[in-house]
Amino acid sequence: MLTANLARSRTHEDTITPLFIDASEQQYRETAEELIQIFEAHLGEPKGDLEDTIDQLTIADTDYKVVQGLAKLLKDECEFETVAPVEPHEIRQRLFEKANESYPIVRQPTLGEDTQKLEVYSSVADALGITLEECHQGMYADLEEHKRLVRFGHRVSDECQDAAESSTTTQLTGDSEESYAADTITPDWLLTRYNLALAQAVLYDATEMRVRVWDSFATVFSYVKLFGLMHRIYPIDSNGNRVGSTDAADGYEAILDGAASLFSKSRKYGIRMANFLPALPLCDRWEMEADILDDGGGSTTQTLSFALDDTDDLSSHYAAQSDFDSDVERTLAQKWERANTDWELIREDDVLDLGAEVMLPDFAIEHSDGRRVIFEIVGFWTPEYLAEKLAKIREANRDNLIVAVSERLDCSSADFDGMDDRVLWFKSGIHVYDVVELAEEYAIEAFSAE
Amino acid sequence: MRLSFDDGTLLLEDAPEAVPYAEWDDRVGEHRAQAQHYRPIRKWATESDGQVTLEESTATVDEIEDDARAYSDFYLTPSVAIEPREYQQDALSAWQDNGRQGSVILPTGSGKTFLAVQAIADAGVSTLVVVPTIDLMNQWHATLTNAFGDQLPDGVGVLGGGSHNIADITVTTYDSAYRYINEYGDQFGLLVVDEVHHLPAPTYQQIPEMTIAPYRLGLTATYERADGAHEELEDLLGTVVYREAVDELAGEYLSEYETIHLQVELTDEERTTYDEEYQIYRDYVDSHDFELWKENGYQEFLKRTSYDPQGRRALIAKQRAENIARTAEKKLDTLDNLLKRHYNDRTIIFTANNEFAYEISQEFVVPCITHQTETDERTEILERFRTGEYSMLATSQVLDEGIDVPSANVGIILSGSASKRQYAQRLGRILRPTDDRQPARLYEIIAEDTVETYVSEQRRQGVAANADS
Repeated sequence: MLTANLARSRTHEDTITPLFIDASEQQYRETAEELIQIFEAHLGEPKGDLEDTIDQLTIADTDYKVVQGLAKLLKDECEFETVAPVEPHEIRQRLFEKANESYPIVRQPTLGEDTQKLEVYSSVADALGITLEECHQGMYADLEEHKRLVRFGHRVSDECQDAAESSTTTQLTGDSEESYAADTITPDWLLTRYNLALAQAVLYDATEMRVRVWDSFATVFSYVKLFGLMHRIYPIDSNGNRVGSTDAADGYEAILDGAASLFSKSRKYGIRMANFLPALPLCDRWEMEADILDDGGGSTTQTLSFALDDTDDLSSHYAAQSDFDSDVERTLAQKWERANTDWELIREDDVLDLGAEVMLPDFAIEHSDGRRVIFEIVGFWTPEYLAEKLAKIREANRDNLIVAVSERLDCSSADFDGMDDRVLWFKSGIHVYDVVELAEEYAIEAFSAE
Repeated sequence: MRLSFDDGTLLLEDAPEAVPYAEWDDRVGEHRAQAQHYRPIRKWATESDGQVTLEESTATVDEIEDDARAYSDFYLTPSVAIEPREYQQDALSAWQDNGRQGSVILPTGSGKTFLAVQAIADAGVSTLVVVPTIDLMNQWHATLTNAFGDQLPDGVGVLGGGSHNIADITVTTYDSAYRYINEYGDQFGLLVVDEVHHLPAPTYQQIPEMTIAPYRLGLTATYERADGAHEELEDLLGTVVYREAVDELAGEYLSEYETIHLQVELTDEERTTYDEEYQIYRDYVDSHDFELWKENGYQEFLKRTSYDPQGRRALIAKQRAENIARTAEKKLDTLDNLLKRHYNDRTIIFTANNEFAYEISQEFVVPCITHQTETDERTEILERFRTGEYSMLATSQVLDEGIDVPSANVGIILSGSASKRQYAQRLGRILRPTDDRQPARLYEIIAEDTVETYVSEQRRQGVAANADS
C-alpha cells in the first residue's frame, strides 16, 4: 500500500476523490515499464542504489508522487536481506574494541601512526576468518540501504536463491496471506494496483464505511472478519432499500467501524478499512461510501464523503472464497443438479448478524412458489470448530434453519435442543430427497411467487 | 458482570443498566466503555457506597469477573543508587497522594526520567512508557535498562523503530503506541507519557483512552499549549500534581565549555558543483519573488515545487548544495587533526546526516549511532561509552529534546540544522569537563562561503545574545 505522503486526491466541497490515473495513457505505461526494468536490473544489488536510481527519475518531474507511489508498490513485492559472511554487529563491535586500544586512527598519518587503520581492520578480519574487504563491507551490511534485493516478485537473485526460499513472506501492509499469489509483474498489473492503492490511501482517515453488496457474501464477510472490523448488517433489496428479513434479501448493507467508534469518530480503523477495500471488487455488484476525517491543515476538522462502486473499474488482488468449503457440499450441489425437484439450491445466500460474528449458512433452498429454508451442513472438523458452529446455530435461532450433521461427529440430538427434529444425520453423503423432505416441512413463505 | 478488554475498549457483559461510563453497543448487544474508565468502573462495581467491598452482598454488582486486566505486579528496586533530589521526592509524593495519577512539570535537564524510574518502582506494576521520538525511546530504553535491566527476565521491551518486543517494562513511540494500543492496552498498570504536551491530538489521545492502566504519569517541561488543548490532559492522565519553575534550577546543572569555530574550503570540484546547484536554486527563487526570509515565503516556494517542474528542480538543487556543504571533504581533514589532538579525551562527533556518520565510523573506526541503530545496540554503545570502554562516538541528529547522554569533554559538530533550540540543547547536555583544570570544548566545523556559514551565525545568536558576531 502507499504511505500517506504518496496519496493523491482532490477535495471538492464535501467530497473527496482519489486522482486515479488512466492506465492506458502512454506516459504512465512507460514509467511503469521503466520502473519494473529498474527493479529487475537491481536484483542482488543494494537497496540504496535502487532507491537512488528511482530518485533520479523524479528530479524534474512533478509527477514524482506517481513515480514514487508506483515504486512503493513494487517495493512491496520485494525482499531485501543482509548479505554478510559474519553478523555485521559482531564485526563492528570487534572493530570498535580493537580501535579503542589503537587511537588515534587518522587519515593523514604522521610518522608511526600510518598503519593503525589497516591493522585494526586486518586483525579483526583474521580473527573472524574473513577477507579484509568482507570485513570492511560487512561492518554495516545490515544498514537498510546496504541490504540486497534478493527477490522481486517471482524473480530471485541467483546468489541468494537458497536464503530467499527458506524465508516466509509477511507483508507489513497487512495484505492477506492468500493474496500473495503475485502474478507476473507487468505495467498493467502495476497501474491497476496503483489505482486501488490510491483509493485505499483515502481510507486511511476513514471513520466509518458503508458497503452494499449483492453477491459474494462469504468472501466479503470473511475479509470483514480478517481485518477486525465491527459490523451492523441490514438485508436490502435490489435497489439497495432495507428489507425486513434475510429471506427477502437480494443483498446486504454493512456498516463497518471498530470497537471504539462507539465513543467518538476514530480514524484508528481507517487502515483496516483500507485493507478491506480490495475485497469489494471481488463482487460483481457493489457500492461503498466512507466518511473521511479531514484536518484541512487547520484546526477545524470536517467530514468528507468518499464513494466508490463497481463502475470505478477497480480490480482486486485478493483471493475470492472458493465455491465450496468441502467435498460434501460440492457433491450435494452436483447431485442437486441431476435431481428432479422444484426446489433450488443456492450457495451462501444469507448473512445472519450474530452481533460480533456473522453466520453464513451454506445454502438456501428456495421453491418457485416462494417458500424458503436455510440449510447448514456440519461436516468433518475440529472440536473447536464444532463448538463454535453449534453456538452459532443456536444463536441464529431461525425457524427455517435446517441442519445436516455428520454421524461421525461427537455430537447428539441433545446438542440441537429444541430443533433436533430439524436435523438430518448423514454418514458419508447427503441425499437430495432427504433434504427436500425437511425443506417441505420447515420452509416459510419468504416472497410471493412470480 | 464480566469485564474484558476488547480491541482497545472495555466490554461489559451482563452489566446492569446503571453501569457508569458505559454506552450500549447495539452491534454486540452489550455495554461498552472506554478502556481508560477501567479503574472507576471497577471501583463502582466493588464498593457501592464507598465502604462495602466485593465480598459483601450489598455490592452494586453481585459478581464481577475481571478478564480485562492482563498486567502483573512486581517488586523492583532501581539499581541506580542516586538519592532523589528534594523536588523529585516532592513530585513523587504529590503524584502518590493523587492516587498515582497526573502530570509533573519539570524543566529540561532536571531528571524527569529519574522521577519516572522512582514512579515505576513505587507503582509496582507493568509499565508502558510513551515518548515522542525514536531517539527518546532509545534514550529511555538505556536509562530503564540501567535501572531495572538485571531484574527483568526479558529486559526492557521496545515497540517501534523496527522492534516489536513487549515486556513488563516497555518503551514505545507515540506513533507505535497509537497503532498498537488496542492490542496491548490491557497489559500495563502504569502509563508514563513523556513530553505529554504532544498528547492532545485526535490520534494520540487514543493512547490513554485505550489503556486500562489505573496509574498514569505525564511528564513535560512545557505543559501549556497555545491552543489550550492541554486542558484535555486532565481527563486523560489526571491533574497537574507538581510544577517546578525553570529558574529555580538554572545554573545548577549547566556546564561551562568553550566554543571554537573552524572553517574549511570546499574542494574545487565541490565548489563548482555547489555554485552550479545553488545558482539554479537562487535563479528560480529570484525570478518568482518569494519572500524567503518570511516563514510563509518558504512555504510558498515548497508548494510551488509540487506542481512546477522547474521548482522541483530548484528544490533538489538546494538540497544538493546543502549536502555538499554538510559533507565537505575537507571537514574530514580537519576532523583528522582534531582527533590527533584529542585521542585521549572523551569525544562525541555530530553530523547532520546518517551517511556522513557512517563514513566517519568506517574511516576512523569510531562507534556510531544514528536513527537506524537498533535500540539494543544503541543502549550497548552508550553504556560502553559511559564506562570508558569506548572513548569516541559519532552520531547524527539523535540527541534531541530531553536526551541525556553520557558526558564527554570534547564535542565536534560537523554540521547541524539551523534550529536554535536544538543546538542549545545539544550543547548543554553533553559537555562536562573531565577534570577541573581543562574546560570542555566544542568545535564547530563549517564550510566557507556556503549557506552553512549563515546558519552557523544564526545559531550562535540563538544561543547567546551577546555572541561576537
